Amino acid sequence: MELDALKKSAGDFEALGATFIAISPQLQTFNRELREEKKLTFEILSDPGNQVAQRYGLKFQLPKDLRAVYLKFNIDLPRYNGDDSWTLPLPTTLIIDQNGIIRHGAINADYTLRPDPEETLSSLKKIVA
Amino acid sequence: MGLQEKLTLLRKGFEAQAPKEVVAIMHRTTDDLEKSGILDGTVKVGDKAPDFSLKNADGQEYSLKDLLYHGPVVLSFYRGKW
Repeated sequence: MELDALKKSAGDFEALGATFIAISPQLQTFNRELREEKKLTFEILSDPGNQVAQRYGLKFQLPKDLRAVYLKFNIDLPRYNGDDSWTLPLPTTLIIDQNGIIRHGAINADYTLRPDPEETLSSLKKIVA
Repeated sequence: MGLQEKLTLLRKGFEAQAPKEVVAIMHRTTDDLEKSGILDGTVKVGDKAPDFSLKNADGQEYSLKDLLYHGPVVLSFYRGKW
């Protein structure tokens, strides 16, 4: 659902001259599956061990009891991510201007929330204006 | 309906049928994460974005520096397909 919303917005971002990129800790092979299943028009880059997420201050580790819940729901994070760190990035969307400066940031500490693509779009419009 | 409203509805549906102890674990994780101060350590508006070089689904390298050559970049951190 999140990706469907982003797929819709990616075209709007690109019409404004921006490049939309997703970064995920999952292995390349799952990004390839996702691209085919959802017919994505943007790139998903693989971030092994959440190393880039860490440099952005976004990496967190799931507590042990939540790991058990995930496994019960068949979410085997070590299999998806190719490491047993049980870490994820906080759901985040950033707009970076051509000078490399972050001009907009939506970062959720509540990992069940997601940045709203509509809000990102209206920020981007102001930034490129 | 916006993405956030859809997700909130989904979560309410999940929480209504999930075991109580599972919902409690999820809520506690969110609370702990908020209290951990993680948001104090994230990148902020006005910061220089750390450069990176990562592989796409075909194994091709993409660096932030090269992407910025073409214009601004909207960067989304995404947990995974599950």
